[in-house]
Amino acid sequence: MINVDGLTKTFRMDNYEISAVDDVQLNVQPGEFILIFGRSGCGKSTLLGMLAGLIRPTKGVVRVHGVDIAHLSDDDVSGLRAKEIGFVFQFSGLLSTLTVLENVLLPTLFCTYSPSSGLRALELLEKVGVLDRADAYPHTLSSGEMKRVAIARALINGPALLIADEPTGDLDVDTEFEIMELFRQLNHEGTTIVMVTHNPDLIPYGTQSYSMERGKIVGKPKTSSCENLDLKSVSHLTTRDLT
Amino acid sequence: MKKKMSFQSFIIAGIRNKPGRNLATAFCFAFIAANIFSGQYLIAGAVGSVNQGVSRMGADFIVAPIEYTVLLRGSGPENTFAIVKTLPTVWRMNNNRMDTIGNVQGVIGISPQLYVATINASELSSLPVDIFGFDPETDFTIQPWLRQPLKNPLSQGEVIVGHQITGDILSKVQVSNRSYTIAGRLDPTQSAADTTIFMGLDDAYSLAQTEGVVPLSAPRISRGDINAVLVRIQPGEDPDPIGARIRRSFPPSQVTVIGRHFTLDPISQDIQGLPGLLKIISLVIVVATFPLIALIAAMVTHERQREIGLIRSMGAKRNVIFSLVIVESLFLAAIGGIAGVAASLIAFLLLNTTGILNSALQVSFRQPAVADTGYMAGIALFVVIAIGGIASLVPAYTSSRMNPYDAIRGEDR
Repeated sequence: MINVDGLTKTFRMDNYEISAVDDVQLNVQPGEFILIFGRSGCGKSTLLGMLAGLIRPTKGVVRVHGVDIAHLSDDDVSGLRAKEIGFVFQFSGLLSTLTVLENVLLPTLFCTYSPSSGLRALELLEKVGVLDRADAYPHTLSSGEMKRVAIARALINGPALLIADEPTGDLDVDTEFEIMELFRQLNHEGTTIVMVTHNPDLIPYGTQSYSMERGKIVGKPKTSSCENLDLKSVSHLTTRDLT
Repeated sequence: MKKKMSFQSFIIAGIRNKPGRNLATAFCFAFIAANIFSGQYLIAGAVGSVNQGVSRMGADFIVAPIEYTVLLRGSGPENTFAIVKTLPTVWRMNNNRMDTIGNVQGVIGISPQLYVATINASELSSLPVDIFGFDPETDFTIQPWLRQPLKNPLSQGEVIVGHQITGDILSKVQVSNRSYTIAGRLDPTQSAADTTIFMGLDDAYSLAQTEGVVPLSAPRISRGDINAVLVRIQPGEDPDPIGARIRRSFPPSQVTVIGRHFTLDPISQDIQGLPGLLKIISLVIVVATFPLIALIAAMVTHERQREIGLIRSMGAKRNVIFSLVIVESLFLAAIGGIAGVAASLIAFLLLNTTGILNSALQVSFRQPAVADTGYMAGIALFVVIAIGGIASLVPAYTSSRMNPYDAIRGEDR
């Protein structure tokens, strides 16, 4: 589904270059829940940005369904993003003047219109557990509810891949647990997910977990089986378990 | 529950997002629109007043049979003010002299008048009422004094009455057992026109045939008889040579040519130059406010960069971002423009109704016609919308070219 080969991104600052992502290889198969762990500044978000076509790589290729997105025009990448990729950020990014339902429907503006979008939005809100807040405005929601709405919004166009950039970074432990359970449920239902996090406690949720340091994937991927996982029971896990 | 999202609702949501800021932006647009509209409206009103004053000055010359001079010597200085109508005389001439007058170089308008009779009719006026015939098609002295413009050209059986004649518009007046409909009423002229009934020449000839209308002592009125020809000359021309040319076109001692003793043309010409001055002032204001609007547009897009990055991550193409920024700016400009024009219009109506405008301008402010007002409002709106569009071009382009990843993370850095 996504094939990453020799992916590199360097940023030029004054007279020297910084490699944010350095020669990364990655394969994401349909139905996988890829979790990339690493400390802040290790290049996780830059990697996600390149997977979604938001950042042009300096070197290497990102193939989505066999198409190298680095060589597509900006409009073509946008079109691909609208249909194939859903994004969840650390911040909810809900527009305060739109209702929950309108926020979920927002990405449909940039995709081919479907009359069933409204129904699908309601189904998604039900799935993420905030259907009763469909007409509410974001400022009346809790952080967890906002995140759930952001997830529903990311899924509205039926993307093949859900990309999550530190989606639980600003949540308390209980809410983080709820959101991760939601991701796991979505993955079980067939959604392919690539998530980055700096929280080692979340590593067991990934079907494949990678560790990232200084722009590189280090060590071998760890395969997990996260059935009946209790977040509190894995809180002792650290990076060392992966490397 | 609304189950569909549209660009309109997204744009409106964007505008509602920062009501204070958007209100301030719309206020800037309203200020520009109000300035452009008010300037135009004020000048149009003032020009209208002066033009009306000039047109109400009537004819530049009156050409009448030579005997008319005798009457003038006896009747006082009526010709020193506006020449609206001829004096009631029984000295007549044939209307075939009109062609000769019309062909004189410098003459741009001629219109005949015929005095029919003076009647005493207490139901019409406490004063004796003059009955005059005129040609509504060529007339340029009577109709400028109308309180309200005629809805249709004056037709047979219809009359225009002086200020002091009793009767409402569309009501009937009886003159020697003939019934006429009042189609129009004149403003006060402070002259004998206030107690005059004006009718078309055909009606005047018919009435003149009615027994007892024209005194037996007076010569009978035949078709083609007129008392005088009122003459308008090319604005800015020296009237004296034109008057002399008219005199020379006729055999000696046949007609008298009497001129008005002053002209309003210089005033009229002066005020015609004001719109140009106004345009310069408006341009200065537009040029001064343009950078402000552009700065606001740039600040708005900078402030919304995360939102822009977010919708780019959802798949919005560059042209969509560009259009959103432009349309939002145009929307604010239109709202502000409409508000500015509406506020100016309401202010003018209030000031005009209360008389403050007239006393402030020290001229009688003539409210421009609805069509002219619409045209001026259209110009003001067009200008502010154009400013809104142009001012947001650079921010729109910058936003559409912004790297979505940088835009999203911009606030975290």
